[in-house]
Amino acid sequence: MAVGSRLRHVIESQQFSRSLLEDLFARSDEIKREPHRFMGRLNGQVMAALFYEPSTRTRLSFEAAMMRLGGQTMGTDNAREFSSAAKGETLEDTIRIVSGYADVIVVRHNEEGAAKRAAAVSSVPIINAGDGPGQHPTQALLDLYTIKDELNRIDGIRVALVGDLANGRTVRSLTYLLSKFKEIQVWFVAPPLVAMRDDLKAHLDEHHVPWVETEDLDAVLPEVDVVYMTRIQKERFSDPAAYEAVKGIYRIDTHSLELMRKYAIVMHPLPRVDEIAPEVDGDSRAAYFRQARNGLHVRMALLDRLLA
Amino acid sequence: MKWTATAGRVKGTVMDEDANRRSLTRIAHEIVERNKGANDLVLVGVVRKGDTLAKRLAGHISELEGSMVPVGRINPARHRDDLHIRPVADGRDLSELPDIKDRIVVLVDDVIWHGRTIRAAMDALMELGRPRAIQLAVLVDRGHRELPIRPDYVGKNVATSPDEMIYVCLKEFEDLDQVVVIR
Repeated sequence: MAVGSRLRHVIESQQFSRSLLEDLFARSDEIKREPHRFMGRLNGQVMAALFYEPSTRTRLSFEAAMMRLGGQTMGTDNAREFSSAAKGETLEDTIRIVSGYADVIVVRHNEEGAAKRAAAVSSVPIINAGDGPGQHPTQALLDLYTIKDELNRIDGIRVALVGDLANGRTVRSLTYLLSKFKEIQVWFVAPPLVAMRDDLKAHLDEHHVPWVETEDLDAVLPEVDVVYMTRIQKERFSDPAAYEAVKGIYRIDTHSLELMRKYAIVMHPLPRVDEIAPEVDGDSRAAYFRQARNGLHVRMALLDRLLA
Repeated sequence: MKWTATAGRVKGTVMDEDANRRSLTRIAHEIVERNKGANDLVLVGVVRKGDTLAKRLAGHISELEGSMVPVGRINPARHRDDLHIRPVADGRDLSELPDIKDRIVVLVDDVIWHGRTIRAAMDALMELGRPRAIQLAVLVDRGHRELPIRPDYVGKNVATSPDEMIYVCLKEFEDLDQVVVIR
């Protein structure tokens, strides 16, 4: 899929050029500062949300974004159980039908590559809202926007990605985006069982992004500008014993804050379980709730770009 | 507050107190990192808000480095290029500098726009000594430069249109720390 200035589908982070990202973020800034100026931009347009996997946050964020732009939304929460998929309909057929009703389709699916398959048959833009362990590009967009918003730059940023890096699609998508910027340094902090996969390490090598793999979070904390925490995803483990062995291994608490730089930020795609102690919430470096709010503005900018 | 009475409608807040403080601590880190310590540094604020920010920045640097960085202030009024249309504002503090000879001077201001104030501040500075280098730190860069000047350290880049104003509120003057866009 060629993406220059024209944006058709949003499938994976790699498709975004640096200039497209900068345009999107400039628009997100405008929307964040003066949201009322964008009311009614998408009057009369309809967004369909097809969620084959549970999500509250992502779905509400997309729906709020569409409604704040004046558009309307429809969707199904449990597409796998309640839609025709339960009767055996293929994803492709569902997309063909729904793209006749809607102007844009947001899809979350349990299978990697599902969004690409949807885009191949859709007559309207497809937005990937997570495809199994594959990617979650709009989360990566809002993550990168948050870094820029909080630290005023992306070039030269030092980022620690912490937790379940094998199954975490948000860290995969974010890493792809980071590799488009200059002088980025990445620390992968994970137990070996859920370490970052080799394909992404090879991608960073290709783009000359230096990375370090370690299990020692405390040693990394004083070095970085961004600490990106992730949840160890129980639902992606087939062996409960393997999950028990790694859950709760990394936790940001007041001791961690003391090790961190005074301006560095803690991010998390949420929901959190116990990766971040509640007492961290009161510290101004806790950026995860601001990050979640940025999701609305970035998704508004994206829908505006696709549809206006 | 003073600015609501004098300068139109507030369109939005671009920095709150926390963001302001985190920006200054980040800039302090960047200054120390780039200059490999704080030994040769002098911070010089452009009166009057740059002056206040320079003092705060010096506090953050001394916290990092464990030693005090000398702070001065510069009043660029006499060097401005618009003296014929805008008379010098009375009552602002006069320049007061520690020794800047062979030091690295970090000029500090609240907002950079056309770049003309900084040009004037550099001229005023050079009249009083010959620093080894001058670097520039600003809390907000709002673009629209008219001179070839670019800050080395920026708290936040804010895209603005020419008819908007950026107003930096500081506790020392307005009882709160906040950066707003007004039109």
